[in-house]
Amino acid sequence: MILPLTREDLKVIGYNMSKIVYLIGVLLFLPIIVAVIYGEFDVIPCFLVGIAIAFIFGSLLHHFLKTEKEMELKHALVMAALIWLVAPLLASVPIWLANATASYLDASFESISGFTGTGLTLATDIDHLSHSINFLRHFLQFLGDGIGIIVVSLSILGTTEMSSVLAFKGEAKDVGIRPSIVRTSRIIIGIAVTFLLIGTILFTAAGVYAGLDPGTAVFDGLNHSMTGYATGGFSVRSQNLLYYHNVWIEVAAIVIMIIGALNFNLHYAVLGGKRREILRNMEVRVLLLFLVVFGMFVSANLLQLNLYSSGEALFRKGVFHVISAQTTTGFQTVPSSILMFVWPVLSILLLSIAMLIGGCANSTSGGIKLLRVGVLFKSLVMDIKRALLPKSAVVKGSFHHIDDVPLTDTVVKGAAVIALSYLILFSFGTMITVAHGYSMEDSMFETSSALSNVGLSSGITSPAMPATLKVTYMFLMWAGKLEIIAIFVLIGFIILALRKGIRK
Amino acid sequence: MKKISLLIAIFLLLTPGIVRAESGRELLENAAGFDGKQVTYSGEVIGVLMSGDFAWVNILDNGYPIGVWCRATDAKKVSIIGDYKHLGDTVQVTGIFHMACAEHGGDLDIHADNLTVLEAGQELDRSVNLLLAAIGVILVVIAFLITFHLWRLRKEKEKIFPWPFH
Repeated sequence: MILPLTREDLKVIGYNMSKIVYLIGVLLFLPIIVAVIYGEFDVIPCFLVGIAIAFIFGSLLHHFLKTEKEMELKHALVMAALIWLVAPLLASVPIWLANATASYLDASFESISGFTGTGLTLATDIDHLSHSINFLRHFLQFLGDGIGIIVVSLSILGTTEMSSVLAFKGEAKDVGIRPSIVRTSRIIIGIAVTFLLIGTILFTAAGVYAGLDPGTAVFDGLNHSMTGYATGGFSVRSQNLLYYHNVWIEVAAIVIMIIGALNFNLHYAVLGGKRREILRNMEVRVLLLFLVVFGMFVSANLLQLNLYSSGEALFRKGVFHVISAQTTTGFQTVPSSILMFVWPVLSILLLSIAMLIGGCANSTSGGIKLLRVGVLFKSLVMDIKRALLPKSAVVKGSFHHIDDVPLTDTVVKGAAVIALSYLILFSFGTMITVAHGYSMEDSMFETSSALSNVGLSSGITSPAMPATLKVTYMFLMWAGKLEIIAIFVLIGFIILALRKGIRK
Repeated sequence: MKKISLLIAIFLLLTPGIVRAESGRELLENAAGFDGKQVTYSGEVIGVLMSGDFAWVNILDNGYPIGVWCRATDAKKVSIIGDYKHLGDTVQVTGIFHMACAEHGGDLDIHADNLTVLEAGQELDRSVNLLLAAIGVILVVIAFLITFHLWRLRKEKEKIFPWPFH
């Protein structure tokens, strides 16, 4: 029996949220440092307003909802769902006040796209954005998708109680690197910062080689490293990576995108000396398989239409966009209008499928995740074997993911539920986009991009698109990031409150 | 006179390779139509990347950016590049438009024969909005006072009624 909600339930959620709201306020100080470095003093008040609102809101939540009650799974999931809305809304204040977008709705879209690591943008004039606002956009992706807001808060606040373990799961991160959740959080941050540094060095070196001055190369490199590792895809340039016209920038992006799409547990195992794990891991094998298959099909399709004739062009356009889609990053080297008007339908559909599948579980990638797709595929193979073998034969399956994991019905059911939920939301988003007058393939492309937190765009996402579509994509980005379950629990919470009320 | 105008119009329509683009939007949204043709394109310079004797000049026209491959000597004519604090030089280029340039890894670009600076760029006014600054400072002070006041209230309350689990 489901118990009716009590005020104490709301207090548990609000009180735990307050700590993360404070954290957002503190983190908004970082872009102020960038503003001071680049002498952008006119933007600083925009951040001050955002910081003040975060602290006022956090203080009110912390004071009036203080409780000692321990968090349960339902609270953790609802809190995760709410904080992934509240944090972007707070961070969107400076973006809006700095006139980086045309309206507050657009700023919220930009901020949700940032936090969820999507990369679809409604910024009106990226080439004339201040360094500090640009840094904020990229930092949001690194913070939200690259590490995770709750991971950061756990690491800093050092909470060791059971509630933190549950909150961690609410953020769709089920990483069991170390028994202590705080230690695990700090390891995740350590891994992220290590790859951030490596990525910055690679992008900066490639940027200088491409002809940028060292200062610009470092700034662009840092930002692209943040969004590359976070598989976010925001860029400091309106042309995205096409701005540089340089193959080495694209190679640096490929390296950092693939690193970002790999499982945290795998990073930890490999960095800890288990190098063979990278070849044995089922997810890595599935990732390589999809990259090769999709890469070949898309390249063949583009070659067949004589759109790109050289091997280099097929790699830099065909294979690059397959990697960008599969890792759910969203870096582009082809203008959106070319994707929309020139690229063949088959390539667009293949990229849409790659985006829906996404990268590894417990990575910075979005989508259904390769682990689940691998599990479902193995389960299908097992069912076929069962059908072919005699009745008395016992068919057992397992897969290698750090350890050998038995393929039980529970594992298969879990993967199937998430995959089905994604497909339902994908259909829902596509229908709404088509209803706004866009073609089916472009609608499928843009919807899978928003839902799987990718950021590749066929050109539908722009400040001029209808507000209803903006809200739809905001919902899809949010739901996709939290792997949907937390959203269902939140909806259940609201329905329960409406039907049975909130008791004292 | 009408006959001469008509003849000129027919000549322009039938002459292959001469297409005058009005905007970046037109070029990007009808790229296949302009592919391999000579175009004239103008806009604000938002980036210059030198590459030996040549350079990439990224030009933005009304929100539609295109990379232009030109001689380094032409790129050096650009004095101001557009960014947050500057409106870049407005330039005009004439050259061959490529939807997928075979020489540059399939990039969409224009290989320019010449580049002319139409208008010099300028510094943009980025002075502090005093009203917004005042609101920001006042809100920060209010936030500090509220946070501090509520923290003190909580401490006093905890002294009277200590939490059972502390």
